[in-house]
Amino acid sequence: MSPILSAKNIDAGYNDVIVIRDISIEINTREIVAILGPNGSGKSTLIKSILGFAKLFDGKVIYHGKDITGITSDRAVHMGIGYVPQINNVFSNLTIAENLDMGAYPCKDKKSIKSRMTETYDIFPELAARKKALAGNLSGGERQMLAIARAMMAQPKVLLLDEPLASVSPKPGSAILSKLNSIKDKGTAILIVEQNVQKVLSISNRGYVLVNGACVMSGSADSLFDEESSRQRFLGLEEKVLDNN
Amino acid sequence: MDINWAQILLNSVITGSIYLIGAIGLSVTYRLSNFSNFAHAEFITLGAFIGYWVSSQLGWGLLPAFIIAFLLTGTVSLLCYRGIFQPLAKRGASTIHLMIASIAVGFIIRYSIGAGWGWTPQYFLNTWTTYEVGAIRITGLWLLLILVTLTSALTMHFALMRTKLGKAIRASSSNPELAAASGINVNRVILITWFIGAGLAAIAGIFRGASTQVWPMTGWDIILPIFAVVVLGGIGNYHGAIVAAFIIGLTENIGVVALTNLGLATEYRMALAFLIIIITLIVKPQGLAMFFRRA
Repeated sequence: MSPILSAKNIDAGYNDVIVIRDISIEINTREIVAILGPNGSGKSTLIKSILGFAKLFDGKVIYHGKDITGITSDRAVHMGIGYVPQINNVFSNLTIAENLDMGAYPCKDKKSIKSRMTETYDIFPELAARKKALAGNLSGGERQMLAIARAMMAQPKVLLLDEPLASVSPKPGSAILSKLNSIKDKGTAILIVEQNVQKVLSISNRGYVLVNGACVMSGSADSLFDEESSRQRFLGLEEKVLDNN
Repeated sequence: MDINWAQILLNSVITGSIYLIGAIGLSVTYRLSNFSNFAHAEFITLGAFIGYWVSSQLGWGLLPAFIIAFLLTGTVSLLCYRGIFQPLAKRGASTIHLMIASIAVGFIIRYSIGAGWGWTPQYFLNTWTTYEVGAIRITGLWLLLILVTLTSALTMHFALMRTKLGKAIRASSSNPELAAASGINVNRVILITWFIGAGLAAIAGIFRGASTQVWPMTGWDIILPIFAVVVLGGIGNYHGAIVAAFIIGLTENIGVVALTNLGLATEYRMALAFLIIIITLIVKPQGLAMFFRRA
């Protein structure tokens, strides 16, 4: 089976500075793939380069077998690639309902938008109760859910998430992970950049570990979790946390 | 000295109406394009001259003047954005570079108008009936201005709050990167707002020109209070701009009475707009936007 999205030998960065070098990843349908690594390792740059938010110096991005290298982010959404940034990921001056409406921007059919909104509210009932609330007034966890819900309104085939658990307390964090699992089960592939290694690997199928802009390890979530060297060198897990599992 | 407060209030509404129509485009494009476009003054002037040309020189009347001025000025603003500001922004020009470029573009438009129509003030040939209601005197032009302002304000409100394009404008001005990640073509949104904003500036120019005079400085004469509306209303905040326009209008008209009573020249009223900009920036830089967060 060919991957739904793959990035091949990517060199990317900002202005004239290359942050990541020769990175190749792939994501298959109904799969959650984690991008792990310490701060500054280039995880966010990798997904930003796929969408044109970071400068792509070299490499190729293939989606559904088609070369989409250098695609603009708005075109990527129309093709079925959703993106949830780490920060500023909701329109704070718009209500929850308006944010979802904007998420469905590529869709022209009003009936379809309405049914998507109903589906989204089924997955995120917390948002349904506060449709008219301004996104800027939501808590960190609610914002993150709205950000994911907004991206899902375009019915993406692949969803790219940049640190969805950052600044979210443990309880809503677990709720977000469970929602991501149901999104995957409905057929959307998910690429997730995350610092919280233990939590993200618990829902991931595979993962890649980046250090200093290079991919140093990849494999199944279990193998990454078990790998002693990765645990110590790259993942930054505390021994006691692992012992508790 | 007897002060006709009812007339002052009406004059404030009239002044505020011109400022509002002139400010809408400046406010929204300021937020979306991230620089203050001083050439907006010349969009007002250009609109006034096109309106004068169509209405008084060609004798086609005011309605065709509004439509033609809106479309032509909107097109000129698109050419300015696509031909100058966008390429500069793509080459990494800063806010200051873009602002200075806009002053240069303004000079080019202003002196081109001067070369074409001359620097002698021109006057619309239309005559307006004056109505007297109690202590209030109002001309047909002012009634038309109030009607056009109400219609534009309500249309803009409906468009921004209810239509997909309007929500896309609000979304793009609040968070352009996320708007692009939602599938919105932000560049197209910017072009549409430049076109509509300059078109409205042209309408403001016609009203200003028809009520005073038309000359190459018509827009420049009122750009300061229009900037005051933008700053007081909160940059990019449409609802804030509506309230700010009438606050500035009221301040200016009460200021005229105060200056007259103090024996000072009424030209100083422009200083009031400047004062409001300074006070707003010192006390509450976000202006009235804090009261209109769903903007």
